[in-house]
Amino acid sequence: MFDISQGPEGTIVFSGRLDAAQCAKAEAFIDAAGAVQAFDFAGLEYISSAGLGVLLRRHKRLVASGGRLRLINVNSHIYDIFRFSGFDQVFDVQRAGS
Amino acid sequence: MSQRSVPSAPGSAAKAPLRERCDFARSFDSLEEIFAMARRMLDARGVGEADAYAITMAIEELFTNMVKYNASGLGRIGLEIECNDNDVVCSLTDPDSDRFDVNAMPDANVHLPVEQRRPGGLGIHLIRRMVDSIDYNYTGRRSRISFRKTLNRAWAEPSGATGNSDKNPS
Repeated sequence: MFDISQGPEGTIVFSGRLDAAQCAKAEAFIDAAGAVQAFDFAGLEYISSAGLGVLLRRHKRLVASGGRLRLINVNSHIYDIFRFSGFDQVFDVQRAGS
Repeated sequence: MSQRSVPSAPGSAAKAPLRERCDFARSFDSLEEIFAMARRMLDARGVGEADAYAITMAIEELFTNMVKYNASGLGRIGLEIECNDNDVVCSLTDPDSDRFDVNAMPDANVHLPVEQRRPGGLGIHLIRRMVDSIDYNYTGRRSRISFRKTLNRAWAEPSGATGNSDKNPS
């Protein structure tokens, strides 16, 4: 299952699996959240290309205002997905344990 | 689907393939059931996390493409999973579709500047780096996409060249 919630210090906390069926829920929450410091992926087990689309759209809006999407506590599998998609060069990604 | 024969190591017995097939409604809402089926089978065979990630992601990407690009197709989409000692083979079948060979799709250009990046187009690109082969068969409106994932083999490292895929088995 997937869950998204407000975390401490201006973070949005993701958990579970961000698959194609959950993207509308994720995007609606993100859009309503306002200013965010980072997306915390500590509890996120899985993301597919649909989830990457959600992140890219958010990142582009941040770039338009001089910012950049910041992701923290990214697990190794999801980090590999970012590498294969080139998004490790686009987003500010902090791996879990680093 | 033909059964694969797997050579046994001395003193060990190869397990019989674990094979299951199910049909799913043409909707993203089917993903929860699809993942449940895949995880149950992969867990029963002790498939590791990296391989399970690759397999479930490939299934999702192919299934969601069938739903997105053929929402008005008749009938349910079939998923067949076969777990062997050394690999997992999955097939997705759309019984009512136009021909669309996924192997003919070019890789996404992941080196574009961010302002030129578009959401979408990454599914097949990612699958190619996570599985060992993808086969497409089209007969009489029926599309069947199969992929094979060798177990305990690392995902292909991303290439620095645009549009190239490097497969470097560990």
